[in-house]
Amino acid sequence: MRAAPSPEEIRRHNLGTLLRHVHLSGPASRAALAERMGLNRSTIMALTSDLTAAGLVTEELPKTTRKAGRPSLVVRPESDRVFVLALDLGADRLVVARVGLGGTVLDRADVARPRDSFDADEIISALAATGRRLVRQAGADAVCVGVGVAFSGIVRQEDGVVRHGPNIGWVDVPLGAELTRRMALGLRVSVGNDANLAALAERARGAGSGLDDIIYLHGDVGIGGGVIVGGRLLGGEGGYGGEVGHMVVNPGGRPCGCGSRGCLESEAGELALIALAGRAGQGETGRRAVEIIVDAADRGDATARDALHQVGDWLGYGVANLINIFNPSMVIFGGVMREIYMGSAAQVRSRLAVDGLTAAREGVRLRTSALGEEATLMGAAELAFSDVLTDPLETLARVRATD
Amino acid sequence: MTASENQVPGPVIELRGIDKSFGPVQVLHGVDFEAHVGEVTALVGDNGAGKSTLVKCIGGIHPIDAGDYLFEGRPVHVGGPRDAADLGVEIVYQDLALADNLDIVQNMFLGREKKSGIVLDEYTMEELAAETLAGLSVRTVKSVRQQVSSLSGGQRQTVAIAKAVLWNSKVVILDEPTAALGVAQTQQVLELVRRLADKGLAVVLISHNMNDVFAVSDRIAALYLGRMAAQVKTRDVTHAQVVELITAGRSGDLGLQQANGNGAKA
Repeated sequence: MRAAPSPEEIRRHNLGTLLRHVHLSGPASRAALAERMGLNRSTIMALTSDLTAAGLVTEELPKTTRKAGRPSLVVRPESDRVFVLALDLGADRLVVARVGLGGTVLDRADVARPRDSFDADEIISALAATGRRLVRQAGADAVCVGVGVAFSGIVRQEDGVVRHGPNIGWVDVPLGAELTRRMALGLRVSVGNDANLAALAERARGAGSGLDDIIYLHGDVGIGGGVIVGGRLLGGEGGYGGEVGHMVVNPGGRPCGCGSRGCLESEAGELALIALAGRAGQGETGRRAVEIIVDAADRGDATARDALHQVGDWLGYGVANLINIFNPSMVIFGGVMREIYMGSAAQVRSRLAVDGLTAAREGVRLRTSALGEEATLMGAAELAFSDVLTDPLETLARVRATD
Repeated sequence: MTASENQVPGPVIELRGIDKSFGPVQVLHGVDFEAHVGEVTALVGDNGAGKSTLVKCIGGIHPIDAGDYLFEGRPVHVGGPRDAADLGVEIVYQDLALADNLDIVQNMFLGREKKSGIVLDEYTMEELAAETLAGLSVRTVKSVRQQVSSLSGGQRQTVAIAKAVLWNSKVVILDEPTAALGVAQTQQVLELVRRLADKGLAVVLISHNMNDVFAVSDRIAALYLGRMAAQVKTRDVTHAQVVELITAGRSGDLGLQQANGNGAKA
C-alpha cells in the first residue's frame, strides 16, 4: 500500500494545478480559483504568493468591479517573462516559436529548408540556431522553461528518437538528443508525434475542450492520428499507437509511403486527392492545392468533384471504423484534413450513416480544429510546459540555476 | 458537452401546419418546422420550394395565414419583425443589409444605439462589439472601427452574423451565408455557424451546397413545392437521400408518400 502523500507533495500538486488553471483558462480571480479547485481562499493565497515570488504569475486588482465588497485579486500568468520554445517539424513546414505561459505565441520564425533536402544534420542545425536566436531576443528578464518538438512521424517519446519519418525519409534519428546538445540551453528537448500533441492541444484549449474521448486526424502530407480515450492519449506498448492513417481501408489500393497498400492516408489524404483530380506535379501542394480542387468542384469541374467524392468516401470508411471501435464523442479534422473534410463532408457523413453502428455514432460530433494551423505548434508548447506545470518551483529553480 | 446531447428540451421554435398564400398562389402548404437549441438545422429545397417564404414567416415579415407558431413551447403571435426580434429571432439575409459607409460598431448597433445621457455611448458599444467578435473567435477582423466597405465578403458575413448574435438572440437564421464566398472564406463562415450552435443558439441555415449542409448541420429539413418533405437527423441520412428529397419530395420511406399528396410526414 502506498503511503499517504506528504504535505510537500500536496503543495507541489496544488501549485501545479493552480498554474495549469491560469495557463489554460486565462486570468482568474482568487475567488474563482478557490471555487474551481475546491480549496479555501487562504490556501489559494499561499499558493499564489509562492507562484508570484517565483515570477510565474502576477496578481492585480480587477479592472472593473460590479459587486460590492473587497474585490478578489486576479491571478494572471506571466506570459511575457515565462516562455517555452515550440518547434513544429513537418514535411512542408519548419517552425520555431516562443510561446508564453498562458499559450500566447510571442514570436515565431519559419525556418527555410534547403530545397528537396531533408538532411537531418542541416535541419537540426537550422532549428537549433533559430531556437537560440529566439531565446536571445527574449530579453534578460525572460526565462525559457522548456523546449518541445512536434514531429510528423513515429517518435520514441522517452528519449526523443525519431524511429521513422515516412514523408521525410528519416530512420532512427536522435532528434531530441541532438537538439538538446546544439541548443545548449541546459534544457532537455522533448519530442512527440505531431498528431498526438495536436490532439492533446485541441483537448486542452481547442474544439475538444472538456471532452475525454476524442479522435484527432491531422493531415500533413499523410494523415496522422491522436486517439484520446478516457482522458488519456492512447499510446500502446511503445507509445507508437494511434497511427490511424495507416489503417487499411482499401485492400490492394493505392501504394502508401509505409510500404503497404490502401492505407487511409494513401486513399483519403492530400496526395490521393491531388492525383485523382489529375493535378499531380502542377506545383501547388498542401492546403492551397486542396482549396483549388474544392473551388474547381464548386464551379462544376467534374474531375475535381469526382475526386472529392472518392476521397470523401474513403475518409468516411476510415472515420466509421474509428467510431465503431472507439465510440468517441468528437472527431476533429485538423491540418489539411480540415479542407478535405469540409470539401467532402456529404460523402464522409453519408458513409458514416451507412457503415457506422447506430449506437456508436449517435452522439459523435464531427468538428474542424479550433486551433487551426497552430494545433501542432501549440501541442509542442504544451509538451514543453509539462515540467513547469508538474512542479513549478523546482523547475524554475533548476532553469534559473543553469542561466 | 453541448446542450444538444444532454438536455433535450422541446424545440425553441416550432411551427405547425403553416399555410401561406400570396393572392391566388399558395406557397406553403401545412408546413411543420422545428429548430432546436445547440443545433444547426439546414433548410434545403429547390428554387421556389418556399425556403425564403418560410424564413420570412418565422421572422415576422410575412404574417402566416394559418397554423401555429410556438416559441419555447408557448404559442406566440408574431405580427412583425419587431415581435420576432423581441423573442430573440434574428435573420441574416443574403444581401447582409450592412451600411457600407459606416464602421463595424456603427453597423452592429444601427438603429439600436446605446446612449449615455443624450450622447451615444461609443465606448460601451465598441467594447461590446469587440467582445462579441472575440467570443466567436473571429480573428480576421483587425479593428472594429474599420469601415464595412473595406471588408472582404467573408468578413462582411462575419460582421452580419456577429450583429445577429449581439442581441442575445436565441435563434439565428442564415440565408445562404456562403453563396458568394471563396473556399477559404466559406470554411471560416461555416465554422462560425457551427460555433454559434455549440454556444447554445438554435441556428437555421439555408444552403444549396450539400457539403456545407453535411459539414455543419445536425438536422435537415427538406421543402418540396411548399410542403415539408421530411425533417431528419443529418447523421441518419445519405447525400443521395437528401438530393432525392429535394428533387422528388421523397426517398424510400422518407418524405411525401404521394408527390401531390397532403404532406404525409416522415
